[in-house]
Amino acid sequence: MGKKRKHSETQAVEPKKKDEGAPERPKRTLMGWKDKEEVQAQTDSNSESPQVFRNKEKVMVTCSRRINYRYRHLMLNLVSLLPHCKKDNKVESRSSKGATLNELIELRGCSSALFFECRKHQDLYMWMARCPNGPSVKFLVNAVHTMEELKLTGNHLKGSRPLLTFSRNFEKDAHWKLLKEMIIQIFGTPKEHRKSKPYHDHVFVFSIVDDHIWFRNYQISVPHNESDKMVRGGLDKMTLVEVGPRFCLNPIKIFAGSFGGPTLYENPFYVSPNQIRALEKRKKAGKYAKKVKAKTRRKMHEQSNPLEPDEFADMWRE
Amino acid sequence: MEMMLYFHAMGLRRKDLSFLQSGKAVEDNVNDVMGDYSEEDDSESVSESESDQEDVKLAEPSKTAIYNREGLVEKCEDISWPENVGWMHKLSLDVDQEKEVDVNDDLARELAFFTQALEGTRAAFDKFQSMGLPFLRPPDYYAEMVKTDAHMQKVKGKLLAQKRQIEESEERRKARDAKRIAKEVQAEKLKERAKQKKQEIEEVKKWRKQRQQSGFKDGKDGMPDLGFENGKAFERSSKKRPGVSRGDRSGGKAKQGGGKSNNKNKKNREFRNSKFGFGGRKGMKKQNTAEMTNDVLAFNKSNAAGNRKRKR
Repeated sequence: MGKKRKHSETQAVEPKKKDEGAPERPKRTLMGWKDKEEVQAQTDSNSESPQVFRNKEKVMVTCSRRINYRYRHLMLNLVSLLPHCKKDNKVESRSSKGATLNELIELRGCSSALFFECRKHQDLYMWMARCPNGPSVKFLVNAVHTMEELKLTGNHLKGSRPLLTFSRNFEKDAHWKLLKEMIIQIFGTPKEHRKSKPYHDHVFVFSIVDDHIWFRNYQISVPHNESDKMVRGGLDKMTLVEVGPRFCLNPIKIFAGSFGGPTLYENPFYVSPNQIRALEKRKKAGKYAKKVKAKTRRKMHEQSNPLEPDEFADMWRE
Repeated sequence: MEMMLYFHAMGLRRKDLSFLQSGKAVEDNVNDVMGDYSEEDDSESVSESESDQEDVKLAEPSKTAIYNREGLVEKCEDISWPENVGWMHKLSLDVDQEKEVDVNDDLARELAFFTQALEGTRAAFDKFQSMGLPFLRPPDYYAEMVKTDAHMQKVKGKLLAQKRQIEESEERRKARDAKRIAKEVQAEKLKERAKQKKQEIEEVKKWRKQRQQSGFKDGKDGMPDLGFENGKAFERSSKKRPGVSRGDRSGGKAKQGGGKSNNKNKKNREFRNSKFGFGGRKGMKKQNTAEMTNDVLAFNKSNAAGNRKRKR
């Protein structure tokens, strides 16, 4: 139960470390919190420690009611990609969303959650949260392509552990680091999970382009010559075929608690889709007025700058 | 090639706009300069002329954007696994991104993702090799896949259909070109022939005029060299024109079909011959011979009134 113990220990240690002048955090090891000197001394014994780290991550995947078919298929695709997830029924109310969801997660015994919320049948928001009191993130999801699209031709084992690749910009700032950590824990299949399969034949790509997190899933395909041998020189001939799904996440807010709590980060560039639609409409509404204004402006301009009389104007007049 | 096809046909619903492309704010500047840039992302397309309004509007809310760096770091430390957890649990790789990718350029962006994945996989492969663990799936390992077999059949069908379409259009284009060229060649040939004919007629006229002028005196010397002596004049062109013999029962189609159906036809023909008897030549039943032309008395007089159908 390494995980649970860590959290409870965190609670105990945190209040002591709140002040600014505190020494840096003691090194955290498998056994708990230790000071740095003790760690140095114990590095030998650690490798023989009887307690082994076990990843007991469980993700609960749910959605809200009135979800679009495309987003529902995206959710189902994610369910098939993560063997350590539990799919739950649709969640009803929006008012006490945080409390309800937290209870649900506790009930199912999960440690994280992916919640898909669809507003107005058009916009999809995804929440990534760690249950007991971990941080939670709200994303706006764009550019959704599900696995059922016939252009995505790859296929891989269901439940094999993925390789997670991140672009370098995840190290550039604190909030990206936090997101990277959460992604590793949620999207990475635990090592000896019951439903996981051996071999690694697919790759997840998370990359930050234009302040959005883009997700891709590729199958690793290597042309096999002999039946049994593992490919030696085949590294050059390795190709990737896209399996899907694809989506693009725009982080909106990061909260300190699960589905609520104080805001740790707010995306300054985020404009809600409602606002965008409203602006569109407003712009279209003023089209006639703008045209009339432009006409009067032109007239004034012409009056104030009269043209010189054209010398050739009378040439063809008989 | 498949990737190219895919990207051409892909229509992303999301269009992202950065109004001020040159001076993009990176996350580092979040605390400092927030009001100058605005970025919209939406599920529908937005025209660019909104930029003026957007800039002014977002100046205010951007300033209130919270960035609690210490809190973030703290939370990150809270949730992260201890540091001496082996890499095997995390399986995460960091890949360097050399250059900035323009979001709106689909092909470049997807290429960047692809290269990132490829490099990551290579690095992982090396790690696995060094640890001596199996990495790739052997080809005889069958287990449940993430997409069903039926789905993969559909995918295959679609790919084949695409390939066939391309091939067919190629063939059509080639046929069109060939036809055009053939037509040109034919036109050339006809022109040649017409020219030749005209030339020969001119020559004959000239010769006649010449003879006229010189008073029909000359013997054989003045004959124009029309090529009669060569013995080639009355030869027909050696090209075989399509034609069938009079007794041919196959309707002129015996020669066609080249080598493909020859064997089958022959077998068929032989079988039928053996079963129904050899057909014999066609249409040679009623032909006059020298004796019969004068044999008026061989007509059957009694049938003359019997055949009503005969026209009178």
